[in-house]
Amino acid sequence: MTKRQTRIFFLGSTALFSLIFLALTVDTHQRIRTLTHSGEITPAVIAGKHVWHRKNCINCHTLLGEGAYYAPDLTKIAEQRGAPYLRSFLTDPSKFYNETRDRRLMPNLHLTPGEIDEVIAFLSWVGKIDNQGWPPRPILVSGAAIPGSDVGGAAPQAASDDPVAVGQALFRQTPPGCFACHSTAAGVNMVGPSLSGIAATAAARVTAADYTGKATDAAGYIRESILLPNASLAPGANYSANGVSLMPPGFEQSLQPAQLDALVAYLMTLK
Amino acid sequence: MRYRTQAVAYPYFVVALLLYGLQMVFGILSITKYLGPDPLMGLLPFDISKEIHTNVLIVWVLTGFMGATYWLVPEESRTELHSVRLAYLQLGLWTIAGVTAVVSYLFHWTEGNKLLEQPQPVKFAIVIVMLMFLYNVGMTIWKARRLTTTEGVLVAGLALAALLYLPALLTFDNYTLSIYYRWWTVHLWVEGVWEMIQGGLLAYLLIRLSGADREVMEKWLYVIVGLTFIAGILGTAHHYFWIGVPSYWLFIGGFFSALEPLAFLGMAIYAYTAMRRSGLAHPNRLALHWTIGSAIFSALGAGILGLAHTWPSVNKWTHGTMITAMHGHMAFFGAYVMIVLAMITYAAPGLFGHDQESTESPAGVWAFWLQMAGMFGMTMAFAAAGIGQTYLERILGLGYLETQHKIQVHFLMVLGTGTLFTLGVALYLYDFFFLAPKRRPAPAAWPPAPEAQG
Repeated sequence: MTKRQTRIFFLGSTALFSLIFLALTVDTHQRIRTLTHSGEITPAVIAGKHVWHRKNCINCHTLLGEGAYYAPDLTKIAEQRGAPYLRSFLTDPSKFYNETRDRRLMPNLHLTPGEIDEVIAFLSWVGKIDNQGWPPRPILVSGAAIPGSDVGGAAPQAASDDPVAVGQALFRQTPPGCFACHSTAAGVNMVGPSLSGIAATAAARVTAADYTGKATDAAGYIRESILLPNASLAPGANYSANGVSLMPPGFEQSLQPAQLDALVAYLMTLK
Repeated sequence: MRYRTQAVAYPYFVVALLLYGLQMVFGILSITKYLGPDPLMGLLPFDISKEIHTNVLIVWVLTGFMGATYWLVPEESRTELHSVRLAYLQLGLWTIAGVTAVVSYLFHWTEGNKLLEQPQPVKFAIVIVMLMFLYNVGMTIWKARRLTTTEGVLVAGLALAALLYLPALLTFDNYTLSIYYRWWTVHLWVEGVWEMIQGGLLAYLLIRLSGADREVMEKWLYVIVGLTFIAGILGTAHHYFWIGVPSYWLFIGGFFSALEPLAFLGMAIYAYTAMRRSGLAHPNRLALHWTIGSAIFSALGAGILGLAHTWPSVNKWTHGTMITAMHGHMAFFGAYVMIVLAMITYAAPGLFGHDQESTESPAGVWAFWLQMAGMFGMTMAFAAAGIGQTYLERILGLGYLETQHKIQVHFLMVLGTGTLFTLGVALYLYDFFFLAPKRRPAPAAWPPAPEAQG
């Protein structure tokens, strides 16, 4: 090989692969509209993207797995947590996490309610992007997808007396041990069904024709399901047998009224 | 120093090395925050310390590239630089832009786009600086009517780096598209044109240090940069795996990323064969260390450790974990930090006006080995943290916070080895600023008296 030949090799291959890359870019541009549902990029989503950038979120968190590794991935956070929880969390993160317990805490960004709604709109849109099914299984902020796995430390204590924070901690304490059978990750169904999006599910179930309970709204449905698991049975062969729910009875005695309220308040944030 | 105007490189190296020191401060600060709780959270939260750590790296490596180019181009083109004043002006503007960016981050002024956080006015200043630089270098070569392959590859790499910065100025409403074009700058820099720059500098250093035949070296240089682009351009796809683009990028990313180590392997063989022929005879042994070290460490860090997680079925689980930090640290250090330090170490005796015999000091040797050991240790600690995280958080489904708690011992190891590394950097700076200038009687005045051209 002479120097002239290697130069031709360099220039030729670079030109060839640049052209291929550009051609694929054109094609990607066309397909991205469907893959990312670009019709759903509303002004609120765009405004939320600006909040995301302005507040430098990406230098702690990852989104679509990209960013920094100091804080959890947020790709599916809107689906996992629901807007009410995120609204409450973003208003004051220290209500839900404690620096001594969790070692890390998100600083309060002092977002306005409008900015919070925008960033939630943005994160909800991101969560629906068709991205080859990543993450392959839910990435949880805290807790564990597998019941009984050693999450370390003592049973979690609420970081404040906010009912949602109290309910969230209670969910993972034993008793009542909700987390032993229910996950809050979408699609992770264990002995009991996943409670991801339970507020929305409850609202739909309560108005369904085959609903047999007495509740009139979503919160009432959740409360009823905890106290009287047999009042209406969740669809699915694994969750009940002979018209009796597999969920243990007796929570009306073991839970204080305030604890029950807190649990309902927390579960109502899962939209 | 054969040409008087090569002295322009000195202030560039000064700025680069000072920023290198600053980068360490923010690196140590960032890893300490991983151990939590963080007393500085209200004042300087993690996002800012990390942002400064990475941005300062980019700025100082580019400063080093520019200084190295100003050192190399007069020698290769056998002429004085077109304009010394322009070079100083450029450095001034560049430093102001860099410092402005760092200060603005401290005050929460950021574009919040990973690695391209520079506020818009700073971005424009960067473009202007790049144009000034390319003009100055271009005019020098044009006036001399002499362009060697080595400097051609180097300057083309820098020109392309400037060109590829332009997508960073664009904004998109669709987040997937912002990510798509962000990688045109970031990936095509570090796994494309910066490698070209590294190749150019490596060729220059090998020719000077080993006395290898220029024709042969430059012939193989073309092969290496050719391989770089064959793998690197479509290798961009490994950043497109899970962001909402068509799935053909999965296969393309997997295949071409697997080719990426070839160019780095080529560079390592290139350096090894050149050195074998000359038997490490050059008196500036430290520059030799940094040069060969760069070729080997980049093959390991950028080549092998990159390959470790670019196959789609692996990346599916490791994407966005500490595994990326493992690869990133060693790759950047091996490919870019070491080649810049090699150039500085090579040029230092000339810049200080004394001969090559006097270059090796115990401090310089320690600086080299401490950085080697520190970086190796950090890479291993990040790898352990990343494997633990992938397994616990991604595969078993343990929460993020609980996982971070369980892998904390590895962050402690990063802090320990990072401190060792910082010690090495401190020694390098001490050697460059305090020991090296005094090693032989320094010339009476600065800049050194002009030498005969030839």
